[in-house]
Amino acid sequence: MKYILIFFISAVTMFAQVKADDVKSFTLKNGMKIFVLEDSSIPNANMYFFYKVGSRNEYVGITGISHFFEHMMFNGAKKYGPKQFDRVMEANGGSNNAYTSENITAYTDWFPSSSIEVMFDLEADRIANLNFDPKMIESERGVILSERSTGLENNPLEQLWQETQATAFIAHSYQWPVIGWESDIKSWTKEDLENYFHTYYAPNNCIVVISGDVKLNEVKKLAEKYFEPIPAGPKPRSLHTVEPEQTGEKRLFVKREVPTPYIMMTYHVPQNGSEDYYSLDLLNSILSEGESSRLYNSIVDNQQLALEVGSMYMDAFDPTLFFFYGICNDGITAAQLEKAILDEVDKIIKDGISESELQKVKNQKLMNFYKTTETINGMSNTIGTYELFFGDYKKMFSAPDDYKKVTAEDIKNVAVKYFTKQNRTVGVLNTEEAQ
Amino acid sequence: MKKFLTYASVMLNSFQHFLVAAVFSFLFLSSNSNAQFKLPRYEIVTLDNGLTIYLMEKKDVPIISFSVLFDAGAIKDGETKGLSSFTAEALKFGTKNYSKDQIDSIFNFYGSSLNTYARLDYSGLYTEFMKNDLDKLLPVIKDIITNPTFPEEEIIKRKQRWVAELDQAKESPRQVIGAYYNNFLFTDSPYGNPVDGIKKTIEAVDRKAISSFYLDNVRSENCAIAVVGDFDSDKMKSELTNELGSWKVTTPRLINDLRFTNKNLKEPAVYLINKDNATETTFMIGGFGVPMSNQEQIQIDVINTILGGRFTSWLNDELRVNAGYTYGARSRFASYKTAGTFYISTFTATKNTEPAIDLAIKTYNRLFEKGIDEATLKSAKNYVKGQFPPEYETAGSLAGFLTQKYIYGLEDSYINDFEKTVDGMTVESANEIIKKYFPKDNLQYVLVGKGDEIRNIAKKYGKVIEKNISEDGF
Repeated sequence: MKYILIFFISAVTMFAQVKADDVKSFTLKNGMKIFVLEDSSIPNANMYFFYKVGSRNEYVGITGISHFFEHMMFNGAKKYGPKQFDRVMEANGGSNNAYTSENITAYTDWFPSSSIEVMFDLEADRIANLNFDPKMIESERGVILSERSTGLENNPLEQLWQETQATAFIAHSYQWPVIGWESDIKSWTKEDLENYFHTYYAPNNCIVVISGDVKLNEVKKLAEKYFEPIPAGPKPRSLHTVEPEQTGEKRLFVKREVPTPYIMMTYHVPQNGSEDYYSLDLLNSILSEGESSRLYNSIVDNQQLALEVGSMYMDAFDPTLFFFYGICNDGITAAQLEKAILDEVDKIIKDGISESELQKVKNQKLMNFYKTTETINGMSNTIGTYELFFGDYKKMFSAPDDYKKVTAEDIKNVAVKYFTKQNRTVGVLNTEEAQ
Repeated sequence: MKKFLTYASVMLNSFQHFLVAAVFSFLFLSSNSNAQFKLPRYEIVTLDNGLTIYLMEKKDVPIISFSVLFDAGAIKDGETKGLSSFTAEALKFGTKNYSKDQIDSIFNFYGSSLNTYARLDYSGLYTEFMKNDLDKLLPVIKDIITNPTFPEEEIIKRKQRWVAELDQAKESPRQVIGAYYNNFLFTDSPYGNPVDGIKKTIEAVDRKAISSFYLDNVRSENCAIAVVGDFDSDKMKSELTNELGSWKVTTPRLINDLRFTNKNLKEPAVYLINKDNATETTFMIGGFGVPMSNQEQIQIDVINTILGGRFTSWLNDELRVNAGYTYGARSRFASYKTAGTFYISTFTATKNTEPAIDLAIKTYNRLFEKGIDEATLKSAKNYVKGQFPPEYETAGSLAGFLTQKYIYGLEDSYINDFEKTVDGMTVESANEIIKKYFPKDNLQYVLVGKGDEIRNIAKKYGKVIEKNISEDGF
């Protein structure tokens, strides 16, 4: 390990071993920006590609195509035909995966660092010359339908999530699920895929992060050889739809046979980088991180009203949603659980939070930061995420300090500002609707 | 240029001193990035009371991983299925010096959390925290292990939710199919126990049952602690000795009389679990596998990688990539101390149930009919070697390996000679492994799906035993 010196400022504030300056970056002539973190703790490395495209870039008729595209990126290009990408990678000791969100699509290769050049060759081929084999499109359609149905089959919450999100948004493309609607999955065409590729998959719409047992100079040489010749594309049109202010509470019911009811509540909140971001993120931790969190401690443990309860505030480019969800305990109605969650929200609006609670969630953030920096995978994923969602990867390293600046009053203020009835959508999933 | 340190350790028991550790170390320097990944150096200490401690310094991040393992797994549940798991959780319900709320608050305050759990062979406690908080958290950990009070009120509260959770879990076939599979294969043998129990037995759990399970099984001589992270070993040794050196359970030690007998699989059989509202069929197919003591686990893993252990594996290639039946198909050996299972697992839309099962079987039979060729073996060998080091990158995963050493007697050579073992495989030895360990006849099937639509299909594969998913148990 390269960095084993530790400096202490106070009991809970320390500099991490990996520093912002250890992350190097360069930009190729085609606009592709590449970050490199040298770390030889294991003889492995990884390569992350973050494309600035997700389901928010879709429109009705092609919902889910970003995610479908993610799958098609593994199905053959010019030099490496169908199945070859995975076969060649695995034969060289590498593995890969990818994920799509509302905002971005990320691809990862994990490999022994001795195989790095093969990874560059494979990736350059599919970025420059992806091919759409009609046979592969059809079998992949089946795979996606299975991915969609297995998610719904195994998790009622996923179904409620999809429908609550679709109700909370009326204009913005965050209203459909990343996986897409079934009829769209069954209907999109080869032309839709080709258009999507040419619009969003240009090197200048992508950032690359490489961490592990590599050398900056070697990476640079390989990037210039394999990635630089790929021509830049026109800048994709930016999204202009703004979700109008919600003017009243919305309620929905989803019918499904379940042992006990499920509930989900959302409030519209601002995105990453907004001035309220850190306060909202800490509020999310206060509500649901750990057994001592407000929601779990009160609703699951003390009152025994729920089997599970939580909140979520996820990375987003555009104004997004703050989620609450819960699964009722046996004999508890959705209305009872809804009231219990709202009571906890009201307590924060009325009484705020304690200083010790605030210190707790700041400590949790610091611990999460250390966990992230423990693996080369955590480093790459987080460097890329911060670069995209906060505009600068360095924000990852300043995050513990940025959270430190938030006061108890700030947290109370965001609860007052956003957790209003007018701004709320409430979804219930149950076998029968309550009379 | 990089270097790894290895440590070969020999454990000595001492009946006269607090602790004795005899340690021999070898420095291993590698000169290129293709070097075999090695287990970092560590030390073993045995306290007077029999407690085994593994210490491994790892200072890349200022955190400490703390893993405690008890020889108190669900195979010891007896009639009260779920007792091991409930007891593990009940350790956190309160102690002599801390209430449940205090335990939760203290760990959370320092940015940490405390997890207790049970598996078939063992139960345990796991936490990780920032290095500076050791002094605040260690006394709490000690109290949880040595002074739990099992307050009645907390037990009643948790029992009620636990029973409701067992119903809830059955909403997800993926979550429960493994319990049905083990039950079908092992029946009355302890490895058939569902770790989280069934409603009837959880309802019967009480303070008395928990206390006696704890006293019988959570004991210093049955316990190992692995600490990995940013600390000084000598200091850690003395802190652990101070806190846990005097822990001694005085009740008589129970003699283990568990009987493990695998039933004789005389014919193919199907366990059909009817879920009326299912839109897909989730299934597992297989038979008995190998115990953790098997010396050819690495070689078995290489073969399984080809069959169903990676994206381009035969099963995933056929069922997902070629046929589009499923999002994923895999196979796995699940190994326990004295037994093991092998299974193929996947899921598909109800209408594809028959072709998907047929294709899974046809693909599996390729192992026996065609065997493995040179190119495929080479690819799988490279793959498992390339993917191996990240498995031991974190303090948590290394602590996990050290406690597994304790319970399963794993040797360091599992990690240190991993590449050598993989490289030593030939096409001939690979095909021998197939014959020796992959169950060929009398396969056992578990299907969770819509009974009315798959009942007739199920008959094709063997004698059918049907159960409704809403029935208690597995």
